[in-house]
Amino acid sequence: MAIAREAEPVGSLSEVREAGLDRVDLFDIYRNMLITRGVEERGHILYRQGKIPGSFYTGRGNEAAAVGVATAMESQDVGTPLHRDMGVHITRGVEPWKIFAQYMGRADGPTHGRDGNVHMADIHLGLIAMVSHLPAMLPVAVGCALAFRIREERRVAVGWFGEGASARGDTHESMTFAGTRKLPVVFICDNNQWAYSTPTHLEYATEHVADRAQAYGFEGVVIDGTDVLAVYREAKRAVEKARSGGGPTLLECLTLRMEGHAVHDDAFYVPKVMFERWAENDPIERYRTWLRENAEMTDEEEDEISTGVKKLLHDALTRAEESPMPETSTLLEGVYATPEELDTPHHM
Amino acid sequence: MAEMTYLQAISDGLRTEMRRDDRVFVIGEDVGVYGGAFKVTLGFQEEFGPWRVIDAPLAETAIMGGATGAAIMGMRPVAEMQFADFVSCAWDHLVTVAAKQHWRVGIPVPIVLRLPSGGGFSGGPFHSQNPESSFAHIPGLKCVCPATPEDAKGLLISAIEDPNPVLFFEHKHLYRRIKTEVPEERYTTPIGKARTHREGRDISVITWGAMVYTAEEAAQQLENDGVSVEIIDLRTIMPWDKAAVLESARKTSKVLVLHEDTHTGGFGAEIAATIAEEAFEDLDGPVRRVTAPDTPVPFSPPLEKAYIPQVEDVVKGLRELAEY
Amino acid sequence: MATETAIDVVMPQMGVSVSEGTVTRWLKQEGEHVEADEPLLEISTDKIDTEVPSPATGTVTQILVQEGETVDVGTKLAQIGGAGIGGAADGAPAPVAETPPPAPAAQQEAPSQQAPQPVQQPAQEPEPASNGGSGHTFISPVVARIAAEHNVDPSQVSGSGRGGRVTKKDILDFIEQGGQAAAQPQQPQQPQQPQQPQQPQQPQPEAAVPAAPAAPAPAPPQAAPAPPKPPAAAPVTPDEALAGETVEPISAMRRGIAEHMRRSLDTSAHVTSAIEVDMARVVAAREQLKKEYQAAYGVNPTYLAFVARATVQTLANHPYVNGELRGDSIITRNFVNLGIAVELADGKGLIVPVLKNAETMNLLGLAKGIADIAKRARDKQLIPDDVQGGTITITNPGGYGTFHGTPVISQPQAAILGTYAVVKRPWVVQDSLGKDVIAIRPLMNVTLTYDHRLVDGAYASRFLKELRERLEAWEGDGG
Repeated sequence: MAIAREAEPVGSLSEVREAGLDRVDLFDIYRNMLITRGVEERGHILYRQGKIPGSFYTGRGNEAAAVGVATAMESQDVGTPLHRDMGVHITRGVEPWKIFAQYMGRADGPTHGRDGNVHMADIHLGLIAMVSHLPAMLPVAVGCALAFRIREERRVAVGWFGEGASARGDTHESMTFAGTRKLPVVFICDNNQWAYSTPTHLEYATEHVADRAQAYGFEGVVIDGTDVLAVYREAKRAVEKARSGGGPTLLECLTLRMEGHAVHDDAFYVPKVMFERWAENDPIERYRTWLRENAEMTDEEEDEISTGVKKLLHDALTRAEESPMPETSTLLEGVYATPEELDTPHHM
Repeated sequence: MAEMTYLQAISDGLRTEMRRDDRVFVIGEDVGVYGGAFKVTLGFQEEFGPWRVIDAPLAETAIMGGATGAAIMGMRPVAEMQFADFVSCAWDHLVTVAAKQHWRVGIPVPIVLRLPSGGGFSGGPFHSQNPESSFAHIPGLKCVCPATPEDAKGLLISAIEDPNPVLFFEHKHLYRRIKTEVPEERYTTPIGKARTHREGRDISVITWGAMVYTAEEAAQQLENDGVSVEIIDLRTIMPWDKAAVLESARKTSKVLVLHEDTHTGGFGAEIAATIAEEAFEDLDGPVRRVTAPDTPVPFSPPLEKAYIPQVEDVVKGLRELAEY
Repeated sequence: MATETAIDVVMPQMGVSVSEGTVTRWLKQEGEHVEADEPLLEISTDKIDTEVPSPATGTVTQILVQEGETVDVGTKLAQIGGAGIGGAADGAPAPVAETPPPAPAAQQEAPSQQAPQPVQQPAQEPEPASNGGSGHTFISPVVARIAAEHNVDPSQVSGSGRGGRVTKKDILDFIEQGGQAAAQPQQPQQPQQPQQPQQPQQPQPEAAVPAAPAAPAPAPPQAAPAPPKPPAAAPVTPDEALAGETVEPISAMRRGIAEHMRRSLDTSAHVTSAIEVDMARVVAAREQLKKEYQAAYGVNPTYLAFVARATVQTLANHPYVNGELRGDSIITRNFVNLGIAVELADGKGLIVPVLKNAETMNLLGLAKGIADIAKRARDKQLIPDDVQGGTITITNPGGYGTFHGTPVISQPQAAILGTYAVVKRPWVVQDSLGKDVIAIRPLMNVTLTYDHRLVDGAYASRFLKELRERLEAWEGDGG
């Protein structure tokens, strides 16, 4: 039996206005979702062109969840997005050319070739770089919230994890600590229904991951993660609740993984009908339809947005490909920080 | 100057920094109301309040990961593992998240992790370990192992000032056994600088932590035989003072490395290898290691005594080197 | 045999980092009786203030650390039982007046302290000298470098290192003394003869005799805290052996036995009574049970077990035999702690482990218990608790065919039962018609040596009579 609250879909424009979004915001959301999808589609091409070393992961099907949450955050808030959350980086303002450079191991990527994929983040945009041990970022988010609480700042930390990561002890410890101290943190579970090849019933035994929240002493909400506006509304509510001292919330976004775990995975284990159903529920298409039906998005407006995104990505790719490979002489640099670095405003 | 135990010196250093810098806070299990399992933070919560002396749930992952997040947000957390042994529960957050953050994305993570370590009191396999070499092996972490109250205070302050994750190994056996004069004012002891504990001509002992005192007793015995032993207290093992070790090795040409950690892959191996690489032509004998054997730490007193290097073991090693 | 062990009360370690503690209050004074686990004193440490429960039942014979004194963890604070002196582990000189050495049971701890040999540190295997039969000596890197820098042939230098190796000091001295010129006369000395190292004999401190304890000046009973490490038993310089004699030092256990035997004879009024028991029914029962016990429990129902069972039952009707004369009081008990005398190998001593609450055990329980303590006694696996608190002892020298003996009572008990060989003898019995006939019967002599101060001859004889009746009427497993 479900314990978590199940969020209603967002219907009319007036509901959206209530949630604090005007028409420009709505178009921005659409643009960010398109950029997110476009960056990752380009990544696929680059990977097949042999320009991206290693492996390659995308968040196709997760755009609404990522962009929806990020839109609900204020600039002073921070987060620890994962590899399905490109939309968070895009929404917070990471320039796509830097992402391409990161993908390709170039010197101008955020990690200067030291790490790949979405293992990157710009702390100046309030983002902390993920590690492959996915649930390990949750206690970091909790620690950020702890700092805000100690300093009595009106800031919120957002920690992301997947339904696979929900099985790890890190998740439990993070939620226990955040719950006992009522820390200003929002936990986002992107439940894309497959942890690599493992289905949800082998990852958790409750109906929803969000059902657990009650056990940690805070609210759990299940949201249709393909509905960007519903995600936004619930995220906004949770973020503001945290900001005003109401403690944590666990939001579970039921999303899609419209591809394999990574580019090398054909996802043979996912039933074909599921892929077909996902295609019908594509969050970008769903939102585009909503904008046309409820926000009167015109052909011209839609064209302008998609053309702009295409140009942005084209320029970004050109600039990224101009970026050099890192010098091997830089390898040894930066293992340790120097005292001077603490005096620079890395820390927000 | 004031007379302080090793433990009091740690408290004093921590209190000094907390009074001086609002960003410094303490987090750990039972550190608040109870004052810490060893009472290092006794009275801290009264002075600094519950949000700077934070009683965490029994969740080392949350403590270490939380300290990492707070550090990235500009705080200077001093996290405590109740026993160094429990740091295994926080391994991921130290090694995976904190240690690599700066190298990957240029973000300093200024954390101090206090680790009550070491044996000698029948703590058994899970309350006696000296896991410093495991962490010295991780690029991005620093490891500090003071032996004296003065160094404990100075190095703790340096560790809090340091912009990196620093593991502060405080030896439980020394907590209340060692009491010396310690400056009352604030001072720092540099991380990465060894201390010559005893000057000597014939053999160098390289050691740290509680073993400094074992070495000292052994050196006194050798003095009766007319053998002059130099003791280098490394004080920090990552980064370690290679220059001081090589200088002493070149001076005496015979080196014994002594540590309480187990043998294979212990930090002594790194020291011995470095001496072999960089001071080979100055050696007049093999570099010897006196260490615990490659077993977990035993509980029963005679077993533990056989495990932890004793004065007799060091004397034996030194005699063999002297006679070589 | 001593079963009243002297037990040390030591400063406990109240937390892993705690190195000392302060005695804040003694809850018992010298001469007072204390029960095991009863609060004995209060201490204060850096971490906690607490009561220290007594480790044993007995009289507080000595308090060594006074209220307000602070001592290291492990320091002996007091002694329970024993004869009221420092005891073996103390090391403090004993008062002159009364110096009985420790009871053997106390010494049971001594072997266990010595038993675990320190593990060899892996790094400390002695290096073999590098100069094998090949006729050349190893030149260390630093000696090679100095030799090259000063254009010296190291083989011309006299070596003082292991196997005649030229050490850094040797070559530096050699150069300082003028190098090659000085080398000439020394040339033929060393390297050609590596098999005869001229290594100066270093004194071997390990072999040095530990400093003897100070002369036994009488010390006040509440002397300063004892040194933390118990020194080994005081070294005894053996008297010179005369021709044909062999001298071996007396062991702590033997010393303890000697003291206890003498003291027991000085204390109790020993009287021995004997009785002959027809063991026919026991033999038959044993034959019947043997297989079952062996198969099901892996234990042999010995005659001793039968006697033990019958003894425990008989004691219920003769409490003084299981009693004690304690000061001006007579103690009797509703339980039996049965001591079993066990000989250690090769006449190296005797120990009396105790089966606690033997009255609760049936034949099988006693057989198992006796087998267990006997084995652990021989394997030196007894714990101090195993040898304490006996209320009566059985000794069984019958295995060697002896048919009578007068054992010595284990203080402060009132009696010791001796069992002897079961032998077939012609015996007058009555046949079914009530006529006397001579039959072959398995007979066993049983003796009771008792303290006539507490147990009268007739009382002892009634005890023996009932014991005999029980054994002669034995059925099955004895119930």
